[in-house]
Amino acid sequence: MTVHSDPGIVQNRRDSEHGPKILVFACRWCAGIGADGAGRQRLPLPADFRVIAVECASRIDPDTVLKSFSEGVDGVAILGCHLDGCRYNRANHATAKRMALLSTLLESVGIGADRLLTSFGTAHEGHQFADLMRRFYERLQGMPQQCRFETDPQAVSGGGVDHA
Amino acid sequence: MLDTVRKIAKGLLGQGTMDGVLGLAVGDGGVSPRLFEDPGDLGSLSLASKWPLAKIAVTVLGQCPDAYRLAVVCRGCDERALIELGKRNRIDTRRLHVIGVACSGEQAERCLCQQPWPSRVDAGVRAQGADLSGNDQVRQYLDSDRGVRLEKWREAFSRCIKCYGCRNACPVCNCSPCRLEDGLWVNRGEIAPDMFSFHLTRAMHVADACVACGACQDACPVGIPLMLLQLPMRAELHRSYQYEAGTESERHSPLLSNYIDEPAGGISIPDWTDSLRKNHGS
Repeated sequence: MTVHSDPGIVQNRRDSEHGPKILVFACRWCAGIGADGAGRQRLPLPADFRVIAVECASRIDPDTVLKSFSEGVDGVAILGCHLDGCRYNRANHATAKRMALLSTLLESVGIGADRLLTSFGTAHEGHQFADLMRRFYERLQGMPQQCRFETDPQAVSGGGVDHA
Repeated sequence: MLDTVRKIAKGLLGQGTMDGVLGLAVGDGGVSPRLFEDPGDLGSLSLASKWPLAKIAVTVLGQCPDAYRLAVVCRGCDERALIELGKRNRIDTRRLHVIGVACSGEQAERCLCQQPWPSRVDAGVRAQGADLSGNDQVRQYLDSDRGVRLEKWREAFSRCIKCYGCRNACPVCNCSPCRLEDGLWVNRGEIAPDMFSFHLTRAMHVADACVACGACQDACPVGIPLMLLQLPMRAELHRSYQYEAGTESERHSPLLSNYIDEPAGGISIPDWTDSLRKNHGS
């Protein structure tokens, strides 16, 4: 699993006609192992996602997710261990709670709660990870593409945001 | 109502129970916060315009000696804000005394306030909370189609001049350093600031502490309906955890604990495995 910290990766794909860009934050344990397993088994799943590995899904706070959207990512996935199986003392509960609140905010502003995927328990179940990515990808394809810097004057007035 | 408050303040100061009373005063430039310490000098006390005094109470107590006892003329939102600040160790609520003032029905409508009274009402009469279902702005910004909502919010945020008024005025917003000033998260020199990294980040930071005082919206020079940003999250916290910020001084935010200690909707560990299948609140 590679860690991508280069913002150029997201920037370069902006003008291509590829599908939605998905950023996955996977915990190093169940989620990451499941994701890795899906790759190792060569399961068919869309390739337009990047994985950032973290120790525990609770490392990700809403700021990180919001910054990802600001940089032009279409969908963010937070993957963690089963809700009763976090090795860091139920930290994934905190993740679940704060991501649920964040998705309320995203929905009320009109960005869409569908853009934030929170999933637990993608353990040694690579097929579950593949299925999840497929469904998330399909859901995002029906949504308008995110532009970098939503309040860019060109985006607001010229309607350059909606490529759907 | 003003006379009642004056009498109470005079009594507290005159008997020496309290060292100071924090309230609003009419002066040359209009109405501004003032710390009254002389019982004979309460003539300029005013309740006229609404301004949350909670943050000023923190500043005052910070500069006064430890034994200083402060009375604050509080509306409902002031008291809730003080409780939230007390929970977060910004202020020692034992040094405070609340002079409770209930807001009028018109004020509640202006503030979209559901609970326009403090826990103890010394002056004024409890009015009915605002009715949000008939409010036009609420309907446009929160109840319409997703695309319409996004356009309205984007248009509103495009007017932002990054004055930080919302953050400065918010009674529960006082981290130092503030992440909104961090160049890594919010790009410097960019006006209007990016919706996600500025406005939505700020909304998330105060999400579980927002007491719906409306100070952010009042402070905004370009009229962004910032209160409406917090209402859905407050409703969600109320629906899932029966939690309302500022009402319980012993209960911390449910976001800080796990599902066993603070179950959501009565279920200790929800059985959803991914949010694509789960219905999120809208």
